[in-house]
Amino acid sequence: MQLHYKILTQLSLIFGLVVMASPNLLAETDSGGLYPKITIQEQAGKQCVRPAAEIRRLHPDMLKHDRIKTLRKGVRAKNDGSSLDGSLKACISCHAIKNDSGYVRIDNDQHFCVSCHKFAAVTIDCFQCHRDIPEGGAKTAHAAKNLDSNSKDLAVISPEVSTNDNK
Amino acid sequence: MTTSNQNKNADQSRRNFITGSFAAAGVAVAPGIFLIQTAGASKPLDQEASKKNRWGILIDTSKEVDWDKCVEACNNEHGLENDKISRPDQKTQYIRVVEVTNKTTGYSKQLPVMCQHCEHPPCVDVCPTGASMKREDGIVLVDRHRCIGCRYCMMACPYKARSFVHETLKDQREATPRGKGCVESCNMCVGRVDAGLQPACVEVSNGAMVFGDLNDPESEISKLLKKQNTKQIRADLKLNTGVRYKGI
Repeated sequence: MQLHYKILTQLSLIFGLVVMASPNLLAETDSGGLYPKITIQEQAGKQCVRPAAEIRRLHPDMLKHDRIKTLRKGVRAKNDGSSLDGSLKACISCHAIKNDSGYVRIDNDQHFCVSCHKFAAVTIDCFQCHRDIPEGGAKTAHAAKNLDSNSKDLAVISPEVSTNDNK
Repeated sequence: MTTSNQNKNADQSRRNFITGSFAAAGVAVAPGIFLIQTAGASKPLDQEASKKNRWGILIDTSKEVDWDKCVEACNNEHGLENDKISRPDQKTQYIRVVEVTNKTTGYSKQLPVMCQHCEHPPCVDVCPTGASMKREDGIVLVDRHRCIGCRYCMMACPYKARSFVHETLKDQREATPRGKGCVESCNMCVGRVDAGLQPACVEVSNGAMVFGDLNDPESEISKLLKKQNTKQIRADLKLNTGVRYKGI
Protein backbone atom coordinates (compact mmCIF):
# COMPACT_ATOMS: atom_id res chain seq x y z
CA MET A 1 0.00 0.00 0.00
CA GLN A 2 2.74 2.38 1.05
CA LEU A 3 4.70 1.51 -2.07
CA HIS A 4 1.71 2.16 -4.32
CA TYR A 5 1.31 5.65 -2.91
CA LYS A 6 4.98 6.37 -3.52
CA ILE A 7 4.77 5.25 -7.14
CA LEU A 8 1.58 7.23 -7.69
CA THR A 9 3.00 10.46 -6.29
CA GLN A 10 6.18 10.02 -8.30
CA LEU A 11 4.19 9.38 -11.46
CA SER A 12 1.99 12.41 -10.95
CA LEU A 13 5.08 14.51 -10.23
CA ILE A 14 6.66 13.43 -13.51
CA PHE A 15 3.42 14.06 -15.35
CA GLY A 16 3.18 17.47 -13.80
CA LEU A 17 6.72 18.34 -14.87
CA VAL A 18 6.01 17.21 -18.41
CA VAL A 19 2.88 19.33 -18.51
CA MET A 20 4.72 22.36 -17.17
CA ALA A 21 7.53 21.93 -19.65
CA SER A 22 5.25 21.89 -22.67
CA PRO A 23 2.53 24.48 -22.55
CA ASN A 24 1.09 23.25 -25.82
CA LEU A 25 0.14 19.99 -24.19
CA LEU A 26 -1.73 21.84 -21.50
CA ALA A 27 -3.45 23.98 -24.05
CA GLU A 28 -4.79 21.03 -25.87
CA THR A 29 -6.10 19.24 -22.84
CA ASP A 30 -9.27 20.80 -21.54
CA SER A 31 -8.69 21.17 -17.85
CA GLY A 32 -12.19 22.55 -17.37
CA GLY A 33 -11.06 25.35 -15.07
CA LEU A 34 -13.01 28.55 -14.71
CA TYR A 35 -10.89 30.89 -16.77
CA PRO A 36 -11.26 32.20 -20.28
CA LYS A 37 -10.06 30.32 -23.29
CA ILE A 38 -8.58 33.08 -25.37
CA THR A 39 -8.31 32.56 -29.09
CA ILE A 40 -5.00 33.90 -30.21
CA GLN A 41 -2.97 33.31 -33.31
CA GLU A 42 0.75 32.88 -32.72
CA GLN A 43 2.75 35.24 -34.90
CA ALA A 44 6.39 34.39 -35.09
CA GLY A 45 8.69 37.37 -34.71
CA LYS A 46 5.86 39.85 -34.24
CA GLN A 47 5.59 41.85 -31.05
CA CYS A 48 2.46 43.52 -29.77
CA VAL A 49 2.60 47.29 -29.16
CA ARG A 50 2.90 46.74 -25.40
CA PRO A 51 3.72 43.80 -23.13
CA ALA A 52 0.77 41.43 -22.73
CA ALA A 53 0.14 42.33 -19.09
CA GLU A 54 -0.05 46.02 -19.91
CA ILE A 55 -2.34 45.44 -22.87
CA ARG A 56 -4.63 43.34 -20.73
CA ARG A 57 -5.05 46.09 -18.14
CA LEU A 58 -4.89 49.18 -20.30
CA HIS A 59 -6.33 48.34 -23.70
CA PRO A 60 -9.63 50.13 -23.04
CA ASP A 61 -7.80 53.31 -22.10
CA MET A 62 -5.44 53.04 -25.05
CA LEU A 63 -8.32 52.63 -27.46
CA LYS A 64 -10.21 55.54 -25.92
CA HIS A 65 -7.23 57.85 -25.87
CA ASP A 66 -6.21 57.28 -29.46
CA ARG A 67 -9.71 57.42 -30.84
CA ILE A 68 -9.94 61.02 -29.67
CA LYS A 69 -6.55 61.73 -31.16
CA THR A 70 -7.47 60.24 -34.49
CA LEU A 71 -11.07 61.28 -34.97
CA ARG A 72 -11.16 64.69 -33.36
CA LYS A 73 -7.60 65.84 -33.94
CA GLY A 74 -6.76 64.00 -37.14
CA VAL A 75 -3.58 62.23 -35.99
CA ARG A 76 -3.37 59.11 -38.11
CA ALA A 77 0.03 57.64 -37.29
CA LYS A 78 3.06 57.75 -35.04
CA ASN A 79 6.24 59.62 -35.94
CA ASP A 80 7.62 56.63 -37.77
CA GLY A 81 4.49 56.29 -39.89
CA SER A 82 3.19 53.17 -38.17
CA SER A 83 -0.35 53.14 -36.82
CA LEU A 84 -1.11 54.44 -33.32
CA ASP A 85 -0.83 51.99 -30.44
CA GLY A 86 -4.52 52.28 -29.69
CA SER A 87 -5.70 51.76 -33.24
CA LEU A 88 -8.54 49.27 -33.30
CA LYS A 89 -7.89 48.71 -36.98
CA ALA A 90 -4.34 47.66 -36.19
CA CYS A 91 -5.50 45.34 -33.38
CA ILE A 92 -7.91 43.63 -35.74
CA SER A 93 -5.43 43.35 -38.57
CA CYS A 94 -3.08 41.30 -36.36
CA HIS A 95 -5.48 39.46 -34.11
CA ALA A 96 -8.22 38.44 -36.50
CA ILE A 97 -8.70 34.70 -36.28
CA LYS A 98 -8.78 32.79 -39.52
CA ASN A 99 -10.10 29.33 -40.08
CA ASP A 100 -10.65 27.21 -43.17
CA SER A 101 -13.62 29.20 -44.34
CA GLY A 102 -12.18 32.66 -43.70
CA TYR A 103 -12.07 35.21 -40.92
CA VAL A 104 -14.15 34.65 -37.80
CA ARG A 105 -16.83 37.28 -37.27
CA ILE A 106 -17.84 39.02 -34.08
CA ASP A 107 -20.89 36.80 -33.58
CA ASN A 108 -18.59 33.83 -33.10
CA ASP A 109 -17.17 32.96 -29.68
CA GLN A 110 -13.78 32.33 -31.25
CA HIS A 111 -13.33 35.96 -32.29
CA PHE A 112 -10.25 37.29 -30.51
CA CYS A 113 -12.09 39.98 -28.57
CA VAL A 114 -15.15 37.88 -27.84
CA SER A 115 -13.14 34.92 -26.58
CA CYS A 116 -12.16 36.87 -23.48
CA HIS A 117 -14.96 39.38 -23.18
CA LYS A 118 -17.65 36.77 -23.12
CA PHE A 119 -16.06 35.13 -20.11
CA ALA A 120 -15.62 38.47 -18.39
CA ALA A 121 -19.25 39.36 -19.14
CA VAL A 122 -18.19 42.69 -20.57
CA THR A 123 -20.28 43.69 -23.55
CA ILE A 124 -18.29 45.54 -26.17
CA ASP A 125 -20.05 47.97 -28.48
CA CYS A 126 -17.04 48.65 -30.70
CA PHE A 127 -18.17 46.36 -33.47
CA GLN A 128 -21.64 47.79 -33.82
CA CYS A 129 -19.84 50.40 -35.91
CA HIS A 130 -16.30 49.16 -36.45
CA ARG A 131 -15.41 46.42 -38.87
CA ASP A 132 -14.76 43.18 -36.98
CA ILE A 133 -12.33 41.64 -39.47
CA PRO A 134 -9.58 43.05 -41.67
CA GLU A 135 -10.65 44.53 -44.96
CA GLY A 136 -10.19 42.35 -47.99
CA GLY A 137 -11.15 39.28 -46.02
CA ALA A 138 -14.12 38.56 -48.23
CA LYS A 139 -14.51 35.02 -47.01
CA THR A 140 -15.97 34.88 -43.57
CA ALA A 141 -16.86 32.15 -41.16
CA HIS A 142 -19.97 32.45 -39.07
CA ALA A 143 -19.96 29.02 -37.52
CA ALA A 144 -16.37 28.01 -37.14
CA LYS A 145 -15.78 24.92 -35.11
CA ASN A 146 -12.29 23.57 -35.60
CA LEU A 147 -10.40 26.34 -33.93
CA ASP A 148 -9.27 24.42 -30.90
CA SER A 149 -5.66 24.58 -31.99
CA ASN A 150 -5.84 28.37 -31.55
CA SER A 151 -7.59 28.18 -28.25
CA LYS A 152 -5.38 28.66 -25.22
CA ASP A 153 -5.88 28.92 -21.52
CA LEU A 154 -5.17 32.43 -20.42
CA ALA A 155 -2.89 30.99 -17.75
CA VAL A 156 -0.64 29.52 -20.40
CA ILE A 157 -0.11 32.63 -22.44
CA SER A 158 0.23 34.87 -19.42
CA PRO A 159 1.78 33.14 -16.45
CA GLU A 160 1.28 36.16 -14.21
CA VAL A 161 -2.43 35.40 -14.13
CA SER A 162 -2.76 32.66 -11.58
CA THR A 163 -5.42 30.13 -12.38
CA ASN A 164 -6.28 30.13 -8.71
CA ASP A 165 -7.53 33.69 -8.99
CA ASN A 166 -10.28 32.55 -11.23
CA LYS A 167 -11.42 29.52 -9.34
CA MET B 1 8.15 82.20 -39.89
CA THR B 2 11.42 82.91 -38.16
CA THR B 3 12.02 86.09 -40.11
CA SER B 4 8.89 87.69 -38.68
CA ASN B 5 10.11 86.67 -35.24
CA GLN B 6 13.37 88.39 -35.92
CA ASN B 7 11.63 91.57 -37.02
CA LYS B 8 9.49 91.72 -33.93
CA ASN B 9 12.26 91.05 -31.46
CA ALA B 10 15.06 93.01 -32.99
CA ASP B 11 16.63 93.58 -29.57
CA GLN B 12 16.92 89.98 -28.61
CA SER B 13 20.00 89.27 -30.59
CA ARG B 14 20.74 86.06 -28.73
CA ARG B 15 17.28 84.70 -29.42
CA ASN B 16 17.60 85.75 -33.03
CA PHE B 17 20.84 83.88 -33.30
CA ILE B 18 19.22 80.70 -31.98
CA THR B 19 16.06 80.81 -34.09
CA GLY B 20 18.02 81.87 -37.12
CA SER B 21 20.37 78.95 -36.89
CA PHE B 22 17.43 76.60 -36.41
CA ALA B 23 15.80 77.94 -39.54
CA ALA B 24 18.97 77.30 -41.51
CA ALA B 25 19.13 73.77 -40.15
CA GLY B 26 15.48 73.20 -41.02
CA VAL B 27 16.02 74.11 -44.63
CA ALA B 28 19.13 72.01 -44.93
CA VAL B 29 17.95 68.89 -43.12
CA ALA B 30 14.38 68.49 -44.19
CA PRO B 31 13.69 69.96 -47.59
CA GLY B 32 11.42 67.01 -48.36
CA ILE B 33 8.95 67.91 -45.65
CA PHE B 34 8.53 71.46 -46.90
CA LEU B 35 8.08 70.14 -50.40
CA ILE B 36 5.27 67.82 -49.34
CA GLN B 37 3.50 70.59 -47.47
CA THR B 38 3.46 72.98 -50.39
CA ALA B 39 2.77 70.48 -53.15
CA GLY B 40 0.18 68.18 -51.62
CA ALA B 41 -1.09 70.76 -49.12
CA SER B 42 -1.75 67.86 -46.78
CA LYS B 43 -0.47 67.45 -43.26
CA PRO B 44 1.93 64.70 -42.22
CA LEU B 45 0.08 61.66 -40.84
CA ASP B 46 1.45 62.12 -37.32
CA GLN B 47 0.44 65.78 -37.05
CA GLU B 48 -2.84 67.19 -35.85
CA ALA B 49 -5.17 68.89 -38.28
CA SER B 50 -4.43 72.60 -38.11
CA LYS B 51 -6.30 75.87 -38.55
CA LYS B 52 -3.86 76.77 -41.32
CA ASN B 53 -5.89 74.65 -43.72
CA ARG B 54 -9.51 74.91 -44.60
CA TRP B 55 -10.63 72.19 -46.93
CA GLY B 56 -13.26 72.96 -49.51
CA ILE B 57 -14.80 71.67 -52.70
CA LEU B 58 -15.79 73.66 -55.76
CA ILE B 59 -18.54 72.04 -57.80
CA ASP B 60 -18.96 73.14 -61.40
CA THR B 61 -22.60 72.42 -62.24
CA SER B 62 -22.25 73.84 -65.73
CA LYS B 63 -20.27 70.78 -66.77
CA GLU B 64 -22.10 67.74 -68.07
CA VAL B 65 -21.38 65.17 -65.42
CA ASP B 66 -23.23 62.08 -64.32
CA TRP B 67 -23.50 62.99 -60.67
CA ASP B 68 -24.79 59.51 -59.87
CA LYS B 69 -21.25 58.34 -60.51
CA CYS B 70 -20.06 60.52 -57.66
CA VAL B 71 -22.79 59.14 -55.42
CA GLU B 72 -21.74 55.63 -56.37
CA ALA B 73 -18.10 56.36 -55.60
CA CYS B 74 -19.19 57.79 -52.26
CA ASN B 75 -21.29 54.73 -51.47
CA ASN B 76 -18.37 52.45 -52.26
CA GLU B 77 -15.88 54.49 -50.30
CA HIS B 78 -18.00 54.54 -47.16
CA GLY B 79 -19.79 51.22 -47.63
CA LEU B 80 -23.22 52.83 -47.51
CA GLU B 81 -24.91 50.00 -49.36
CA ASN B 82 -24.87 47.57 -46.46
CA ASP B 83 -28.24 48.65 -45.06
CA LYS B 84 -30.60 46.16 -46.62
CA ILE B 85 -33.59 46.70 -44.35
CA SER B 86 -34.33 50.42 -44.21
CA ARG B 87 -36.90 52.06 -46.44
CA PRO B 88 -35.36 53.98 -49.35
CA ASP B 89 -36.28 57.30 -47.77
CA GLN B 90 -34.54 56.30 -44.56
CA LYS B 91 -31.33 55.09 -46.13
CA THR B 92 -28.16 57.04 -45.59
CA GLN B 93 -27.16 59.52 -48.27
CA TYR B 94 -23.93 61.43 -48.02
CA ILE B 95 -24.52 63.04 -51.43
CA ARG B 96 -27.99 63.78 -52.75
CA VAL B 97 -28.54 64.67 -56.39
CA VAL B 98 -31.01 67.53 -56.33
CA GLU B 99 -32.87 68.74 -59.39
CA VAL B 100 -33.72 72.42 -59.49
CA THR B 101 -36.18 73.80 -62.01
CA ASN B 102 -36.94 77.34 -63.07
CA LYS B 103 -40.72 77.30 -63.01
CA THR B 104 -41.19 80.11 -65.49
CA THR B 105 -38.89 78.76 -68.18
CA GLY B 106 -38.86 75.09 -67.32
CA TYR B 107 -35.06 74.98 -67.37
CA SER B 108 -33.84 72.36 -64.94
CA LYS B 109 -30.46 71.25 -63.73
CA GLN B 110 -29.01 68.68 -61.39
CA LEU B 111 -26.51 69.35 -58.68
CA PRO B 112 -24.99 67.26 -55.94
CA VAL B 113 -25.68 68.45 -52.40
CA MET B 114 -23.78 67.08 -49.45
CA CYS B 115 -22.60 68.41 -46.11
CA GLN B 116 -21.46 71.93 -46.92
CA HIS B 117 -18.80 71.95 -44.20
CA CYS B 118 -19.83 75.33 -42.84
CA GLU B 119 -17.46 77.57 -40.97
CA HIS B 120 -20.27 78.14 -38.46
CA PRO B 121 -22.09 74.81 -38.56
CA PRO B 122 -25.58 74.82 -36.97
CA CYS B 123 -25.31 71.07 -36.36
CA VAL B 124 -22.36 71.68 -34.06
CA ASP B 125 -24.20 74.46 -32.25
CA VAL B 126 -27.16 72.30 -31.33
CA CYS B 127 -25.41 69.03 -30.51
CA PRO B 128 -26.00 68.28 -26.81
CA THR B 129 -23.05 65.90 -26.46
CA GLY B 130 -20.32 67.45 -28.59
CA ALA B 131 -20.53 64.60 -31.07
CA SER B 132 -21.22 66.85 -34.00
CA MET B 133 -17.93 68.64 -34.43
CA LYS B 134 -15.78 70.69 -36.72
CA ARG B 135 -12.17 69.70 -37.06
CA GLU B 136 -9.51 72.39 -36.95
CA ASP B 137 -9.15 72.21 -40.71
CA GLY B 138 -12.84 72.90 -41.29
CA ILE B 139 -14.14 69.39 -41.90
CA VAL B 140 -17.47 68.85 -40.14
CA LEU B 141 -18.12 65.32 -38.95
CA VAL B 142 -19.86 63.21 -36.33
CA ASP B 143 -17.92 61.61 -33.49
CA ARG B 144 -19.99 58.45 -33.26
CA HIS B 145 -18.38 57.65 -29.92
CA ARG B 146 -20.38 60.51 -28.46
CA CYS B 147 -23.47 60.57 -30.69
CA ILE B 148 -26.63 59.58 -28.83
CA GLY B 149 -28.81 59.67 -31.93
CA CYS B 150 -31.07 62.53 -30.82
CA ARG B 151 -31.19 63.86 -34.40
CA TYR B 152 -31.12 67.47 -33.31
CA CYS B 153 -28.44 68.16 -35.92
CA MET B 154 -30.65 66.75 -38.65
CA MET B 155 -33.27 69.34 -37.73
CA ALA B 156 -30.71 72.13 -37.58
CA CYS B 157 -28.97 71.48 -40.90
CA PRO B 158 -30.38 73.76 -43.62
CA TYR B 159 -28.99 71.48 -46.31
CA LYS B 160 -30.65 68.25 -45.17
CA ALA B 161 -27.21 66.72 -45.30
CA ARG B 162 -27.49 64.32 -42.41
CA SER B 163 -28.89 60.82 -42.19
CA PHE B 164 -29.73 58.57 -39.30
CA VAL B 165 -28.88 54.88 -39.27
CA HIS B 166 -32.04 52.97 -38.43
CA GLU B 167 -30.90 49.37 -38.67
CA THR B 168 -28.11 47.16 -37.39
CA LEU B 169 -25.24 47.22 -39.86
CA LYS B 170 -22.65 44.67 -40.81
CA ASP B 171 -19.62 44.71 -43.08
CA GLN B 172 -18.70 48.34 -42.61
CA ARG B 173 -15.68 49.70 -44.40
CA GLU B 174 -12.54 49.84 -42.28
CA ALA B 175 -12.11 53.58 -42.82
CA THR B 176 -15.75 54.46 -42.10
CA PRO B 177 -17.11 52.86 -38.96
CA ARG B 178 -20.87 53.44 -38.86
CA GLY B 179 -23.74 51.86 -37.01
CA LYS B 180 -27.28 51.90 -35.77
CA GLY B 181 -28.41 54.80 -33.63
CA CYS B 182 -25.95 57.39 -34.91
CA VAL B 183 -26.36 60.34 -37.20
CA GLU B 184 -23.87 60.60 -40.03
CA SER B 185 -23.04 62.71 -43.04
CA CYS B 186 -20.39 63.44 -45.62
CA ASN B 187 -17.06 63.76 -43.84
CA MET B 188 -15.18 64.93 -46.92
CA CYS B 189 -13.50 61.50 -46.88
CA VAL B 190 -11.48 62.69 -43.92
CA GLY B 191 -9.24 59.63 -43.88
CA ARG B 192 -8.33 60.10 -47.51
CA VAL B 193 -7.70 63.81 -46.99
CA ASP B 194 -5.36 63.03 -44.10
CA ALA B 195 -3.54 60.58 -46.32
CA GLY B 196 -3.07 63.28 -48.96
CA LEU B 197 -5.73 61.96 -51.32
CA GLN B 198 -8.83 63.62 -52.71
CA PRO B 199 -12.36 62.76 -51.62
CA ALA B 200 -13.83 59.84 -53.55
CA CYS B 201 -16.48 61.92 -55.35
CA VAL B 202 -13.93 64.46 -56.54
CA GLU B 203 -11.77 61.71 -57.97
CA VAL B 204 -14.48 60.40 -60.31
CA SER B 205 -15.96 63.80 -61.25
CA ASN B 206 -13.83 64.35 -64.36
CA GLY B 207 -12.70 67.71 -63.11
CA ALA B 208 -16.18 69.04 -62.36
CA MET B 209 -15.29 69.00 -58.68
CA VAL B 210 -12.12 70.55 -57.34
CA PHE B 211 -10.88 69.82 -53.85
CA GLY B 212 -8.35 71.98 -52.06
CA ASP B 213 -7.31 74.37 -49.35
CA LEU B 214 -9.39 77.55 -49.26
CA ASN B 215 -6.83 79.19 -46.99
CA ASP B 216 -3.97 78.68 -49.40
CA PRO B 217 -4.08 81.38 -52.11
CA GLU B 218 -1.83 79.25 -54.28
CA SER B 219 -4.13 76.22 -54.32
CA GLU B 220 -6.08 75.39 -57.47
CA ILE B 221 -9.43 75.87 -55.77
CA SER B 222 -8.52 79.32 -54.45
CA LYS B 223 -7.34 80.42 -57.88
CA LEU B 224 -10.56 79.18 -59.49
CA LEU B 225 -12.68 80.90 -56.84
CA LYS B 226 -10.84 84.14 -57.50
CA LYS B 227 -11.39 83.90 -61.25
CA GLN B 228 -15.00 82.79 -61.44
CA ASN B 229 -18.40 83.70 -60.11
CA THR B 230 -19.25 81.05 -57.54
CA LYS B 231 -22.00 80.73 -54.99
CA GLN B 232 -22.68 79.23 -51.61
CA ILE B 233 -26.10 77.64 -51.19
CA ARG B 234 -28.21 79.67 -48.76
CA ALA B 235 -25.47 82.24 -48.47
CA ASP B 236 -28.02 84.40 -46.63
CA LEU B 237 -27.52 82.23 -43.55
CA LYS B 238 -23.91 83.42 -43.39
CA LEU B 239 -22.60 79.98 -42.53
CA ASN B 240 -19.64 80.39 -44.92
CA THR B 241 -19.78 76.95 -46.44
CA GLY B 242 -16.71 75.03 -47.54
CA VAL B 243 -18.55 73.64 -50.57
CA ARG B 244 -19.03 76.17 -53.34
CA TYR B 245 -21.01 75.97 -56.59
CA LYS B 246 -20.43 77.38 -60.01
CA GLY B 247 -23.22 77.75 -62.54
CA ILE B 248 -26.27 77.93 -60.32
